[in-house]
Order: sequence, then C-alpha cells, then structure tokens
Amino acid sequence: MADIDTKRLPLKVAGRLVVWGSIVAALVPLIFMLITSIKPTGDTQTIPPKWVFVPTLEHYEAVFGGQTSSSQAFLPLLWHSAIVAICSTALTILVGLPAAYALARVRFKGRKFLATWILSTIMFPPIVAAIPVFIIAEQLQLIDTYPILIIPYTAFNLPLVVWLLRSFVAQIPAEIEDAARVDGCSRIGVLRKIILPLVVPGLAAGAILSLILCWNEFLFALTLTRSDVKTAPVGINEFTGMFGTQWGNLTAASTAIVAPILVMTLVLRRRLISGLTLGAVK
Amino acid sequence: MQVVLDPTIRQDILVTLLFVFLAVGIELIAGLILAVALAPRSLSNTIGSTILLLPFAVTPVVSALIWRQLLNPNYGWVDYYLQRLGIIRRPIEWLSSAPTAWIAIVGLDVWQWTRFVALILMAGLQGIPKEPQEAAAVDGANAWQTFWHVTLPQLRPFIALAVLLRLVEAFKTFGTVQILTGGGPGRATELISLTLYRIGLQDFQIGAAAASGILFLILLSIIVSQLLQVLGKNTELLE
Repeated sequence: MADIDTKRLPLKVAGRLVVWGSIVAALVPLIFMLITSIKPTGDTQTIPPKWVFVPTLEHYEAVFGGQTSSSQAFLPLLWHSAIVAICSTALTILVGLPAAYALARVRFKGRKFLATWILSTIMFPPIVAAIPVFIIAEQLQLIDTYPILIIPYTAFNLPLVVWLLRSFVAQIPAEIEDAARVDGCSRIGVLRKIILPLVVPGLAAGAILSLILCWNEFLFALTLTRSDVKTAPVGINEFTGMFGTQWGNLTAASTAIVAPILVMTLVLRRRLISGLTLGAVK
Repeated sequence: MQVVLDPTIRQDILVTLLFVFLAVGIELIAGLILAVALAPRSLSNTIGSTILLLPFAVTPVVSALIWRQLLNPNYGWVDYYLQRLGIIRRPIEWLSSAPTAWIAIVGLDVWQWTRFVALILMAGLQGIPKEPQEAAAVDGANAWQTFWHVTLPQLRPFIALAVLLRLVEAFKTFGTVQILTGGGPGRATELISLTLYRIGLQDFQIGAAAASGILFLILLSIIVSQLLQVLGKNTELLE
C-alpha cells in the first residue's frame, strides 16, 4: 500500500493545486467587483491597486438614490427585472408542467418526434428571433411594455423547463398513478394531487433556471425596452457613458444585480445543477 | 444570394465557429481535469464545488464589464500583477490587437462556463461503478491507462451532454462579446450574432439580417442534429 501511496502523492498535490487555482480564478473578478464598490471614488482606479482604504457606502447610496450621471435611477430597473423574471417564470411553470406530463405519460401519435423537436428548439439563437419580434412589437405598439419581454422569455425558457420536468415526471413510478386512476381520480386530479407534490424538486430546478436566465437576459431587453420597463443588465451598461466610466457606481450596481442570484445559487445549488443539465444530473 | 456570397458574412461565420470550437474545447479539457480533481468526496471538495458554482450565476453583462476593467492597460489588475510577477514587461493593450482580444473573449467564456462542464462530468464520475477501474488496476494498468481506457468511455454520455449544452449556448453568445470588444479590433471578434444585431437592429436592413439569420439557423440545425444523434446513441438521457 505504501508504494501506491507514494506514487499517488504527486497526483494528489496536482489535484489540490487545480482545485485551489480554479477557486481563486473563480473569485478574483467577484472580489474585484465587491472591493471596488466600497472604495472611495479617488481610490477606485489606482496603480498599484489599493488594498487598504476606508470602506464607504457612497456608491451604493448614489446608485440607489439616483444621484449618478446615468440617465435613470437604478432601483426601478431592478424592480423591472424582478417583475419580468417572476411573471415569466410563473407562466413557464404553468404551461411547462402539463406539457411535460403529457410528453412523459400520455401516449399520442408523434410524441417522440414532438419531444425531440422541443429539445431542438433550445438551439434557436435569440438574435434571429429578436428582429421579427422587434418588428411585431413596434406594429402592436408593445415596445417598452412588460408583455413584450415576458412572452419571448417564456417562449425561450419553456423548452428547457419542459424537457427538465419531463425527466422528473418520467421518474415517478407509473403504478402510483394507475392506483389513483383505478380509484376514480381524473387525469387532472392525478396531475394536481400526485404528480405535483412529487415533482417539487423539478419545479424548483426549473424555476431557478428560468429566474436566472430572465434576470440575466440582455439582448431582448436592449432591443425592446426604452425606459418604462428597462431592465438592470441594460441599465448597468450606461454607467460606462460619455463622461468616462464611474467605476464605483458601476461595481456597486453590479453587486446589486449579482447578489440576489448568487444567494439563490448557493441556497439552491443542487437544484440549479439539475436545472442547467436539463434533469440529467439530479 | 447577396448575403450568401458576402465575404464578410462568411468571415463572421468562421469567426463564430472558431470561437465556439476554442471555447468549448478548452472548457471540456479544463473541465475534465477539474472534475477528476474534485470527484473524491471530501469536505474541501464540497466547499470547492459550491464556490465554483458562482461564476455561472454572474450576469454575463456584469462579468464582461468587470473583465474590461480588469484588462484595462492603465490601471487593470491583470496587467499590473502580470508585471509584478515578471511575466510581462510592459502593459498589454488586451482589447486593441486581434490575438489578445481573442484571448479575452475566449477567456471570459472559459471563466464563466468551465466549472459548469466540470460539474456535469463530476456527477458522471461519481455515478459510474468503481469495479472496472479496480479490475484494471489489479491487471497492472497505470493510472493514466485506467483513466483513458476505462473511465473515459464510461463518461462518454456526460461528455456528450456537456458539449451539447455548451455548444448551443456558445453559438448564442452576444452580450459578453458585444460589451467586451464590440466585435473589434476591426472585425476580428465579430461573431455572427453581433453582425445580425448590427445590420438588423441598428442599420435596419431587415432583409439582409433575415437572410443571414436563416443561414445561421441552417448551420446550427445541422450541427446540433448531428450532436443529438451522437447523444441519443450513447445515453438514455434522451429517453
């Protein structure tokens, strides 16, 4: 055994180095963001970088109080993002669960084709859809309204969530359902009373995936909103305006955008992994 | 036909293919190494894999803005600390020359997504049975032979899944590159999605944008349907 251990030692050390190096690489940009956001304005851009400074919340006050040279206060943008993300996620789950159930359980013609087709729509590039959606939105005068973000986001996230939930529904033993059906429960009743409680982990995975994707989305928000429903990722880009970049404000706003999803990620990490892998990793 | 024959569109498609190939390739290799290092169950690995989850929750727009600041030649951390370590002598203007701009955009994608690949592969490594590996070791195979001939084939479905998911997303890349380089310098990092945005939504040449969009879509469906077939053959993930 000793022989094997000495042989394996360099491998183990290399493994530790890879893990720690990767952790450092993961954290450096986030640490930079956090530190810069609490540096006094004069210290945000210095060479060498200052590690000792008097922490301040001035940038957070400026960003949330709307006292930046950006055209718009930042807090409402976070609200817009939250409303869009929550509505779209609710809609996605509402439509996605029955669809997933049908694909997993109901025998109908073309089921397999339909399932593969739904999966293949995940490759559809948003930029290709953005142009027609923009033209339609303009003609229906929906530019800068909530529905014009909520509907396309739902359309884009639905295939992911359907596919994900389908794999969760498929795992539930069919016998449970059959027993309920024999006892006189309807299909809708089965879905509500038996499937729903059992796919809660899947719903959590789908919901967190959809929330993050909506919250982070940039292209549609950039194209389809002006000011009334402008979302945070679009607004943050304006801190790099013509008066030079306000790094303190930019990093404070960045932290405000990223913080809610980082917390969600840490709390629901297992669900997130299963969501991101469309249920292949549970 | 104008679009199909337009050499700039063809160049943008090549740029996109190169970007996807480089980013996904590096993520797969680095992700595999990381997954092997993280696979043994231990406390530090649990903490490690939790921290490693963080980058892919970061809003891509934010990560691109942060990277731009880190790479700034005048006061960015990257140039400063590379000089301190003696790796480079004078600051590099990362985003002003094509090769370094490529390092920046691929690097950002790798930063954001390698750990996602690693987590999929890690789940694979933890799920596969240990007996074949032990049998190989007893038969005198060294660690590398065991990994290459026994473990890797068992991992194939997970590798296929990771590649599919990453490939699809890498083709869609827009916001990060738009903010980091804006397609520059010149058109060196002009992905097809940036071109489509520019001609369709800024110059309003709707016809040309639609034609290029359809071209892009056809290309993607060919690639993805091939991959789905490979995935379907190797796994029950699609069942």
